[in-house]
Amino acid sequence: MKQAVAEDSRCFSDRAILRLNMSWIREGELNLLERLSANVLKAGPMPKHVAFIMDGNRRFARKKNMERQEGHMQGFDKLAETLRWCKHLNIPEVTVYAFSIENFKRTKDEVDGLMDLARQKFVRLLDERENLEKHGVCIRVLGDLNMLPLDLQQLIAKAVITTKTHNKCFLNVCFSYTSRYEITNAVREMAWGVEQGLIKASDVSEALLSECLYSNNSPNPDLLIRTSGEVRLSDFLLWQTSHSCLVFQSVLWPEYSFWNLCEAILQYQLNHKSIQKARDLHREHQALLQLEADRACVAEHLQHHGNGKPADAQRRQEALLHYTACREERVLDFLEALKHKRDSFFNDLCSEGVLALED
Amino acid sequence: MSTLMALLYGFLWRLLLVLVYVNRALVSLLRVWFRSWKDRLSERVTTALLLPVALTGFPDHRKKLNHNPNANASPVSGNYAAGSRSRWLSDGRSLEKLPVHIGLLVAEEEPSYTDIANLVVWCMAVGISYVSVYDNHGIFRKNNSHLLEEIVQQQQDLLGVDGSKYSVEFLSNASDMHQHHVVSCRPTVKVLSPEDGKQSIVQAAQQLCRSVENKQRRSKDISVSMLDILLRESKNIPDPELVLKFGPVDSTLGFLPWHIRLTEFISLPSHRNVSYKALLGALQQYSTCQQRLGQ
Repeated sequence: MKQAVAEDSRCFSDRAILRLNMSWIREGELNLLERLSANVLKAGPMPKHVAFIMDGNRRFARKKNMERQEGHMQGFDKLAETLRWCKHLNIPEVTVYAFSIENFKRTKDEVDGLMDLARQKFVRLLDERENLEKHGVCIRVLGDLNMLPLDLQQLIAKAVITTKTHNKCFLNVCFSYTSRYEITNAVREMAWGVEQGLIKASDVSEALLSECLYSNNSPNPDLLIRTSGEVRLSDFLLWQTSHSCLVFQSVLWPEYSFWNLCEAILQYQLNHKSIQKARDLHREHQALLQLEADRACVAEHLQHHGNGKPADAQRRQEALLHYTACREERVLDFLEALKHKRDSFFNDLCSEGVLALED
Repeated sequence: MSTLMALLYGFLWRLLLVLVYVNRALVSLLRVWFRSWKDRLSERVTTALLLPVALTGFPDHRKKLNHNPNANASPVSGNYAAGSRSRWLSDGRSLEKLPVHIGLLVAEEEPSYTDIANLVVWCMAVGISYVSVYDNHGIFRKNNSHLLEEIVQQQQDLLGVDGSKYSVEFLSNASDMHQHHVVSCRPTVKVLSPEDGKQSIVQAAQQLCRSVENKQRRSKDISVSMLDILLRESKNIPDPELVLKFGPVDSTLGFLPWHIRLTEFISLPSHRNVSYKALLGALQQYSTCQQRLGQ
């Protein structure tokens, strides 16, 4: 694997070395025309959170007769550039699909190459911590870290903890991630809560499941962009994008331009009203379902403890309010415990990493 | 000064949207115009060139018609139906691959039952085994029987009456949990609503949590495949390989989030007055795409 990278740097000596140092943050202003277009777009509704499936790195490399790894590196550079555009377009949150659990099926060579690229980038990220602080960039990694090599897990934990308190812009990197796995993990966490006696099975709801996903700290994406002409989600944010605007663009990711992004945003703006309406409808429906579920629980409770006496409306209403308050309290306690569990996972990894370094 | 600029930008933005709308309208107008022109041309060409072929193709259809008890009653319409039926079937066979399960996602106000019924019948005629119909208001679910009547009607009109072979199994209600054993050769129609989406995942989660509550299972043992099996509701229907989305909204609008992991999305402008050609075009587009499955 190291050999493959070595070969890469031999073939593309100067460029590759330059690239290895490419940073997470791109400085620089937009040019006049870009700025004008950005201002025009900003007069309309803007997405607060954009998700990207950065597809087409390998096809790009093949097209340009490059090594595959070089394609992946250029893909990363394009991410840094896209983040700069998003900053200028006042888009505070971006989520990207960096590595799927399915990608472990690729050749060992390529998987190792991608792990190595990730290592470099997270080391680089730690070097840049001051710059990240200046821009207020918070980086989160969503996925099952346990599947990764331990040293990479430690690096990631360190990067996440270092930028945790930053709150101007957010970059979520989905790494070792699939959406089905994420949903299953959320179910597992809720079942853990039940095991611990923190919640009841009847407390499980759509809202609670959302809170247990890796993405619980983010609002749902408003816009999902997939490049390279594929028209499917490939197990990415299936739950979170159920009411997002989906834009499929044919350009390969390393060739993605500011204008492609503007086009996608324009498409979002054209969809904005109808999607907003669908979201509101969904939210109303969800609230109704929750109320029904609470009522059913209260009814059951009253039947068991009411000694067979029919409950009057007022008593039922009081019981409902009481039950709802108790449920909300249970859920809050559970979420607190879950957060603590997740934080300590990262903290433990991080301190292990420090010990390993000291050794 | 800055408010003036904001006004100007706002005006420019509105202008931009108007331009995009005008552009879209022009493109669709041109497309319709071009298509009708092409149709007229190709019709003339086919009548001139392919008439002998059509005639030699006939005996084959006749053979099938002999099995059809209603063919004698109205030979003309029976002939017509059998002819188009075999054309649709051969269209389906000519494609490199055909989805086993197709989703029809209506992202438009005021759905048209007749057009959706047409689509469903065409899908079955080209050889697709499972057809799901969805809209995010749950209108089709609410008026389930209306849609199903319409489908039966269209089936008779388009395919001729051939009860046993083309009978459809309707799976309409997620909460109705009695066992359905789906016979593989029978096309199945399912009417979906948002409740079949996230809500069914929540129900599966609740079920698993309840079994943990009753100490039948440990939280650690919950796996993707366990959830997947629960979400298939014991009716081994495959995930939809293709979703046709009708209407101007670019979103899945809550369509079965768990099941669309590898689904291809193809958009068509509207389901109103949609033609068989448009459906076939989408199926052709689907048949040419490849999936790498992470590799």
